[in-house]
Amino acid sequence: MQIAVSGGKGGTGKSTIAINLAIALREHYDLVLADLDVEAPNDHLLLGVELANEEPVELFMPRFDYQKCTRCRKCAEVCEEHAIITMRDGTPFLMPNLCSGCAACEIVCPVPGAILPGKKLMGHTYLTETPYGFPLVTGRLLEGEERAMPIVSRAKKRAQGLEKELLMVDTAAGTSNTVSKALEDSRLIIAVTEPTPLGIHDGELILRLAKLMEVPAMVVVNRSDLGDVAKVREIAEKYGAEVIAEIPYSENIIRSYVEGKPIVLTDYPEAGLFREIASRVVEFLGGGE
Amino acid sequence: MQLVIASGKGGVGKSTVTASLLYLLKDEYRFVAVDADADAPNLDLLLGVERWEEERELVGAKVARINTESCIRCGICQERCPYDCIKVIDGDYVVSELTCEGCNVCGLVCPVPGTISLDEVRSGVVRKTTTRYGFPLISAQLDVGRPNSGKLVTEEKEWAKKLMGELGLKHMVVDSAAGIGCQVIASIGGADLTILVAEPTPASLSDVQRAYKVVQHFRQPAYLIINKADFNPGFTALREWAEAEGIPILGEIPYDRAIPRSMSMLKPFVEAFPDSKAADAMREIAERIREEILK
Repeated sequence: MQIAVSGGKGGTGKSTIAINLAIALREHYDLVLADLDVEAPNDHLLLGVELANEEPVELFMPRFDYQKCTRCRKCAEVCEEHAIITMRDGTPFLMPNLCSGCAACEIVCPVPGAILPGKKLMGHTYLTETPYGFPLVTGRLLEGEERAMPIVSRAKKRAQGLEKELLMVDTAAGTSNTVSKALEDSRLIIAVTEPTPLGIHDGELILRLAKLMEVPAMVVVNRSDLGDVAKVREIAEKYGAEVIAEIPYSENIIRSYVEGKPIVLTDYPEAGLFREIASRVVEFLGGGE
Repeated sequence: MQLVIASGKGGVGKSTVTASLLYLLKDEYRFVAVDADADAPNLDLLLGVERWEEERELVGAKVARINTESCIRCGICQERCPYDCIKVIDGDYVVSELTCEGCNVCGLVCPVPGTISLDEVRSGVVRKTTTRYGFPLISAQLDVGRPNSGKLVTEEKEWAKKLMGELGLKHMVVDSAAGIGCQVIASIGGADLTILVAEPTPASLSDVQRAYKVVQHFRQPAYLIINKADFNPGFTALREWAEAEGIPILGEIPYDRAIPRSMSMLKPFVEAFPDSKAADAMREIAERIREEILK
């Protein structure tokens, strides 16, 4: 079973909510947290752990055997990314940055062995034990690489492979297809938003994506005193989602973040808010201990 | 001159800093602003844009579709899809439009000709307006579930360049997306310099270091603005990193409630609260940008 923490806008506190919720849910489920914000993964920093058990994510990249290549240009014609250019005589060249690693060129190449399976390192996945009783899987795109999708897909698989009772996914911001990939198969989306005009604008987009994917959503309003929560409720209602928590702007949350101690484990009153979110999730999902 | 504002991490105040900077530079310089965060564009909101003068649909994204009539349910497409985008729903093989990258591998391996087609779909819109401050803004909005393509950003920058020619503008200011993916690469590529915005937290430091590697990849100079500078007093690693890398710090903006309040008013904070501490800091930063960058 899988749930996701997501939010349209960056910096709304998605990761803070994901790690605290994971800690609270640990009492109910045997779980794994997957940080699929592969361009800016931060859950390990918030959990105070060093990434461990690195595995490379390599993509197929064509290498041409020019002895065998017949200069038929089929590889270049089939490449949807236009990553293969051909010289006047048909000699193909690869522009590695554009290559998506889909291997379509290899599939259409009529000469066996003319396209060799080269490899390109795109990033890494990690499996890190945390002191909180659940492991963290992290995907991390290499700087300078453009394609987040393969990393998201591989990190998610690694987390699924652990076969835990609950897989909790922390997605990137926005609503692109890498976010949909992360959300896919979720039983529930916790959409984190702020009540500012910007937060509401982007929050609506994530609710729209949840609706398109037919995944039920619950809304957590972070920094709820910095704007108009009624407007968030209005939008949530439009998409059949319920606002389940309002977390006011809090120095305590910042302090606990700076001290590297998850707020849910402190005596601050805010800890109760996270436990409440967790019990709403448990109520929705059923099961657990 | 083309300058980019980037951060790596979302929510550190990149767009609020950009909006205020544009506001402070608008009388003296002629520029076009580009919001290159097509996934979650917000600069228009911060600049109080109410309508777009011109919108262009961007087609060209592709998704595969399987014709269930002729499909023989062999499953080869599902097996070969590099991104696991093909599911079996009620016995039918179906491509998930929300995750498909449009590579056409399924179509190439399908043994029944004509069963899998690659259809063009809309990926989003690119839009132009003239802000109430007089300078033009180019923005884009990616459709939900579409690949987060740098092509949208490239399209925006092309339009911005054309406007520069038509209107005799001297500069392009690009507000980049968060992260380090294709939109960020398309933003930084071809620019003259990048101004990084970060806050003193481990997460922001980690992300800005990654964004800086992209800047280095393009061999560009980088500058740093520290936002919410007093928000984590014990944390000196951001400043130390910038000093060690030789990245000039243009200034520090203190945490100030005036900023979130100005966001709710949909105005740059230097306009909404010109007497705030944050506005003082921002004016100093703008001054340094005038002296050291725009000269």
